[in-house]
Order: sequence, then C-alpha cells, then structure tokens
Amino acid sequence: MKLSAFTSGKWAGWPALGLVATATALAFGGLIGFNRSEFDWSYFSDPYFLAILRFTLLQATLSAALSVVLAWPMALALSYLKDSTHKRAFLSLCVLCFVMPTLIVITGIISLLGRSGSLSPLLGDDWNLYGLSGILIAHIYLNLPFAVRTLYLRLQSIPDASWRLARQLKFTRAQRFRRLEWAAAHSATWLLLGFIFVICFNSFAVVLALGGGPKATTLEVAIYQALKYDFNISEALALAWVQLLIAGSAFLLVSFCGKVSWLSPASAPAQLRPPATRLEQLAYRLLYACGWLFLLAPLLALTPRVIHSGVDMEFWRSLSRPLLITLGLGVVSTVLSISLAYSALRPYRRARMQQSPAALWLDWLTSHSLAVPAMVLSVGLFVLLLPHLDLDHWGIWLVAAINGLITVPFAASQLKPALLNFDSQYHRLSLSLKLTSRERRRIEWSYMAPAIRTAAAFVGMLAMGDVAIYSIFGNQDFVTLPWLIYGYASTYRLDEASLASMVFLGVCGLLIFYLEKQSPRHA
Amino acid sequence: MLEIRALQIKRGARTLHYDLQVAQGEIIALQGVSGVGKSTLLEAIAGFVALEAGHLSWEDRDLTHTPPEQRPVAMLFQDYNLFEHLTVMANLKLGVDVAMQSEIPNQAQALGIADQLDKLPGRLSGGQRQRAALLRTMLRPEPLILLDEPFSELDADTRRLATEWTRTMAERFGKTLLMVTHQSEDVSRLAHRAIHLDNAETGAV
Repeated sequence: MKLSAFTSGKWAGWPALGLVATATALAFGGLIGFNRSEFDWSYFSDPYFLAILRFTLLQATLSAALSVVLAWPMALALSYLKDSTHKRAFLSLCVLCFVMPTLIVITGIISLLGRSGSLSPLLGDDWNLYGLSGILIAHIYLNLPFAVRTLYLRLQSIPDASWRLARQLKFTRAQRFRRLEWAAAHSATWLLLGFIFVICFNSFAVVLALGGGPKATTLEVAIYQALKYDFNISEALALAWVQLLIAGSAFLLVSFCGKVSWLSPASAPAQLRPPATRLEQLAYRLLYACGWLFLLAPLLALTPRVIHSGVDMEFWRSLSRPLLITLGLGVVSTVLSISLAYSALRPYRRARMQQSPAALWLDWLTSHSLAVPAMVLSVGLFVLLLPHLDLDHWGIWLVAAINGLITVPFAASQLKPALLNFDSQYHRLSLSLKLTSRERRRIEWSYMAPAIRTAAAFVGMLAMGDVAIYSIFGNQDFVTLPWLIYGYASTYRLDEASLASMVFLGVCGLLIFYLEKQSPRHA
Repeated sequence: MLEIRALQIKRGARTLHYDLQVAQGEIIALQGVSGVGKSTLLEAIAGFVALEAGHLSWEDRDLTHTPPEQRPVAMLFQDYNLFEHLTVMANLKLGVDVAMQSEIPNQAQALGIADQLDKLPGRLSGGQRQRAALLRTMLRPEPLILLDEPFSELDADTRRLATEWTRTMAERFGKTLLMVTHQSEDVSRLAHRAIHLDNAETGAV
C-alpha cells in the first residue's frame, strides 16, 4: 500500500466522532421528546426547586472559592521546597486525591468526622457532618489537590531569567508575588475557580452521601430522586434542563477562557529563585505538613476500622463480585473511551495539519460531552431507551457504554498533546518515507504507548468510581464497588465501608503508581 | 530531467518564482541568503508546499498535483529526520528496500556511525544524527534526492568525509541531487553546478 494512513483514511475517525455526537443528540432527543405536552413550567417557580437551585449554586461557589484560596499558599510552599522524594510523593497524592473514587473519600471523612468519627468528640456537641459542612469538606478534599498541582506547575514555569532580574532589582517578597508569581498563575486561578465550580455543581456522590436531606440537596441528586424514588419523569426532565443550561454554560465559558494543565510533568526547577527567609521557610514547612495531614487523614482514618473490622468470609465473598464487576466495567469503559477518543481525534488532526478552520469545531465536538453532566446524559438516554429496552437486562452494558462516552474528553485531553506532537514532528517524515498504513500505525502506536497508558489509568479510575450513571441504570443484579460502599456508609456499617474502600484505594493506588511511572520527570 | 517552469509559491505576503532544469544524475547546490526560498523550493519539489501556479515534472511525468508519498523523491529535512522512540537501526530501515538494508552496516561504518546503530537517536550528537539521516536518504530507492543543509552540524573533517561519501553514493546509484548549503567547500567537493537564488521574489533564478 503506497498511501499513508492519513490520505488513505480520509474518513477515518468520523464514525467515532459521529457516535460520540449521536449519543449526546439521542440524550437530548430523549429530553425533548418525552412528555413535551405535559412539561410543567410552573415547577420553576416552586419554592422547593428554588431552594435546590440556591443550595447547588451556594455549595459550588463556596467549594470552588475555598479550594482555590487554600491552594495558593500550599502551591507557593511547594514551589519553595527543594525537590525530594516526599515532595514528589505529595504531588502524586494530589493526583490520586483528585481522581480517587469519591466514595472512598466519603467513607474516610465519615470515619473521621461522622457521628462516631475519631475527631468528632473534639468538635463539640453541635457538630454535624451532614449538610453544607460535610459537602464542603469533601469537595475541598477532592479539588484542593487539583488546584495545588495546577498552580504549582504554573509557578514552576516562571523562567530563571525573571528570578534573576527580580533579585537584581531587589524585589521585596510582596513585589515578587505581585510581579512574578501572581502574574504567572492568575489566569490559572480564574480557570480553576470556573472548573471547580462546574465539578461541584455536577457533584453527585458527595451530596448523596453527605447532603443529609432536602435542605442540602443539589440538582443532580434531585434528578436522581425524582427518577428513582418518585418516578416523576417530568420533574427529572425539568431539573435536567436547568442543570444542563447552567453547567453547560459555565463549562463553555471556562473552556473558551483556556485550559488548565495539571497532569503534565513539571519544568526544570528554578535555580535562581531567591531563597526563602527563615520565617518563610518555617511557614512553608508548616503549610506542607498541614497539606500532608489534610490529604492523608481521611485515608488513614480507614485503617483502624480495617484492622478492627473483624469481618468474616461472607464479607469477602460479598466484596469479590462487586470488585470484579467494577474492574470489568472499568476495562470495558476504558477500552471504549480510549478507542473512541483516539479515532475521534483523527478528523481534528487532519484538519489541523491542513490548517483548516474546521479544526476548532472538530476539537470542540470531540470534547463536547464535558459540557453535558453525566446525570443529564443518563436521564436523556434512560427516557429514550425505556420504552424500547429492558433496562434491567441491559443496564450493565449501558453503564459501561455511557461511562466510556462520558470519559472520551478526558481520554482525548491526555492523547491530544502527544498526537499533535507526533504529527508536528513526524507527519512530513512519514510522507517522505512513503510509509505504509501498517508501518505508520506501528510507529505511531509505539510512540503513543506512554500517553495511552496514562489516559487508560486516568479514564479507568474515573469510570470505576462512577456513581451517577450507575444510580440511573444500575440494579441489584450487578452492584459495583462504589455503590456497595455507598450502601455500607449510608447504613452506618462503617467497618465494612472502610474495608471495601481500602481495597478500592489499593486498586486506585496501583493505577496511580503506574500513571506516574509513565512521566519521565513527573511533578 | 527535473523541470520546473514558472513555479509560483506564496509565502505570507511574498510570492516566490522559480524556473529551473536539472539533468538526470546531476548534483546541484542551491545557495543564497537566508529567507530567499531555498528550502521552500526543496519542499515544493517534495510536495509539502502548495503551488500557486507553474509546472513541475520529472522525466516528463507531471508532478504538480502529485501527493508527497507518490513522488520519486527522498528528502532530508533540516530537523526531525529520525523517530526519537525507535533505534537508529530501526529508523534506517524505514523507507529503504529490503535488498538495500544489508548495505546499512557497511555504509554506517564508512560514515563513522557504526557504533550508534543500536542506540536511540536522543543518545547521538547532532552530527551523528545528521549522518544517520543522510545515510538513509541516500540508500532510499527514489532517484531524486533533496538535501536541506545536510552537513550543517558536522566538523571540518567529518564534513569532508560525508560530502565525499554522498558524491560516491550519488554516482554509484545514479541519483539526481539537489542540496541547500551555505558552504562553498560543499559546492566544490560535491556539486556539478551551483545555483544562486539571489532574489526568488523577482524571478531571478
């Protein structure tokens, strides 16, 4: 075969792109088509709806603001600390905390701060984890590490020449912050605020487990309750539309402003950064220690319960099936997600190499499902498929498929930089060498292997941790590990929840270890 | 014969004009100040640059609209000639006929890079990388060879060795060769003829 993969596969990638777009279109079709005539507009003036909307916005805004405000001093402290094994471990822990299945964190927080939590006696009689406080703690725990890592990477990117100039001009600490550090990371700060707001706005598992009733519920959970408990599809649809409009608009606004890089390796450490004063050093070390404590505390809180759990063989038997189901779902979703993302990026790459303006919207089309909350997609497909499919029978496959679809943007975000790099360096060379499609694929895949592994670990973890899609399509015939943990935690069987969480954490830890090993100089 | 007639290429606001004939087996050195359009001409012959107007043919076969992978051209770029994740040997085998692959060790010896074949390109110096890429380009089956500053990273002795080797290989396999160079010694050692592009914009070729 004389033609290269690019010219021979003129339509390569379009079926994958079409599939991703069709799934969203079908979900919208489901939302628009169902019960159109009975759509109840008065619902939007209902005090219950307004209370849910107000609380959703409040918790998302507070979570985003607190995560970013607290991340700044932590990132500054990290940037001044010398490179070391424990610092690298801390940055790896930041990745783990952000992508860790939410139910593990929730179990840890309940073990620490719940009704019989280890720290609860210190917090007074009025302390109640459930409600806004619990939601905020969990959201900060999950998003602060993401913000720290992002800001740290930005601070590391300040060139040595700037530090040299700052020293030569004898900048004060405040001037260094204003002229260099804030200048390098202020755009990331606004982006982080937007991103974390969207993540927390769409939060499901945290609010479901720690919300504590109708006073502290969000749109995402209200959709689930309307659909699963009340089977009020009209209400679920109305809520889904509001969820889509707000989360989608916020996401589009943020994505037009730029992208946050947090998984990329750090650049070379600055050699000419002015040394911290003794007082600053003390403050940075204290902050660093607090950071370790904050991130490890909920995970360590699982340990005593694990040690003293005294579970029997029956427990392990009940755990093994959900674990296998979760791993199986993770594998199927990951293979689907990576294959779709890899293929769906083909038209974008081709357009980019031809410097076609279509590249912009092809890129957007590949990642568009980020703007569609998982719950909205699930509800849309649920109401569309309900009359045609036995959802109890096909549920497991739908959970795997929708997780695969919803994680396509995450897989694409990991694959895209490496693919674009490959194209910019080797596209002309591949054409000039007249490589066959097979040769080109072999060379490209061996080049892409580390990026594919990173994407697979990342996507696998997200898919395995899913609770939102499972809550719509799942049933008792195939309980996943996160849902099992939720079941234990919500019935105060914390020993079992902790043990199951620890097993799950072990699986995730192995994946993160694998993910971080792929970066030659991981941050 | 390579024939280039009234070729026009747009580069930003500029339009470059080329008229050129090169006989089969001829070795041409393209010279001229930076930015005059030497590399652009090679890229146009290889098919990587869109043509505004004009005609390009090889042995009476019209190449004007032929895609790069169907042109009888082997090109050495200024950079990115080797896949960084493949060994040098794996790189050298790409695009080279199976029968010709047995030549690789001997020719690598002649160019002084025989010890580097099992390494990844990142472990090689700039000069070693350049010689590895040159070796592959010259062993490829295409009759028309385009070299864009092929000796720029080489010291004086290695440069002499590489230019003489290139001339020997071009003559042995009957290649037609166009080379961009800034060094007049490359012209005297290797080229049959030098073409000076003084102002391609006004069509002075």
